[in-house]
Amino acid sequence: MLLLGGKEYVALMHLHKEVGNDELTTAISKFEGKITQLPPVRSNVKREYRQREVYALDILEVSGKDVLLRAEVESGTYIRKLVHDIGESLKVGAHMSELRRTKVANLTEKDNLVTLQDIEDATYYRTEEHNDKFLSYVLQNMEKAIDFMPKVWVSDFAVDSISHGSPLAVPGMVKINDFEKGEMIFLSTLKGELIALGRALESSQEAIKMHKGIIVKTDSVIMPIGTYPRYIKS
Amino acid sequence: MPLPFEGKTHEVISVREETTDEKYGVYPEKRTIEQKIPYGFVLLDKAAGMRSKSAANVAKRLLSVLGVNKVGYSGTLE
Repeated sequence: MLLLGGKEYVALMHLHKEVGNDELTTAISKFEGKITQLPPVRSNVKREYRQREVYALDILEVSGKDVLLRAEVESGTYIRKLVHDIGESLKVGAHMSELRRTKVANLTEKDNLVTLQDIEDATYYRTEEHNDKFLSYVLQNMEKAIDFMPKVWVSDFAVDSISHGSPLAVPGMVKINDFEKGEMIFLSTLKGELIALGRALESSQEAIKMHKGIIVKTDSVIMPIGTYPRYIKS
Repeated sequence: MPLPFEGKTHEVISVREETTDEKYGVYPEKRTIEQKIPYGFVLLDKAAGMRSKSAANVAKRLLSVLGVNKVGYSGTLE
């Protein structure tokens, strides 16, 4: 679900011929804002022009033909393509030689970023030395990853039916954030646990005025069935 | 400049006052490691050149000793 959030990348662009600094700055500034991209030949999406927004594009460093770029982009922007297109625009050609994602939605490299080796060490400490300290650093609560989504807090009695895949109706709704119709919703318990992700069938403005009916359609359920008691009609 | 969603906070509208029964579920910040596993995510710094899919598979194998059997990922789009 992090897919939806904006991304920040640091990319190394290799120009096929050196260009002047002013020329480079001018060319790059043309790629800020709304751009149109054709997804690469080998990609998982339909190959047709689509518009994406580049929120920011800065030059971090220039060394000969190598240009280090920082790009803040909308989800679904191809950086390799962006670099290629900058090269075309400069009429010298360019390709991307390195890429690193530095941010996604609300997560950055400062949020307990770990390596595969760290995971191995953490499991070793736990299984061989009964020390969970490292593992609790490596493993983060899923709720944190989707913190940016609007939430609907659900009454205890309605939690179990949502974990079975039922939609959320008005009586189960205790607190809500602002949301638009059709937006992805974090269905939360009053304790803040993620029950499921859903799709808003109404806007929050409408939802608070309603007395009955469905507010959120449940999409993917995370919480195991039986975590909360089953609702018995009295 | 913050990205869309970055540091985003929402206003909370209270529909009614209600408390939760402490007998069920657990506050995310109070989860034990065992409870955290099915709700866990790892922010992975994979090696350059390695495919996201392979990295996810290695992570899954490493975590399988903890009883983890499902691993998904959200990777970089080049």
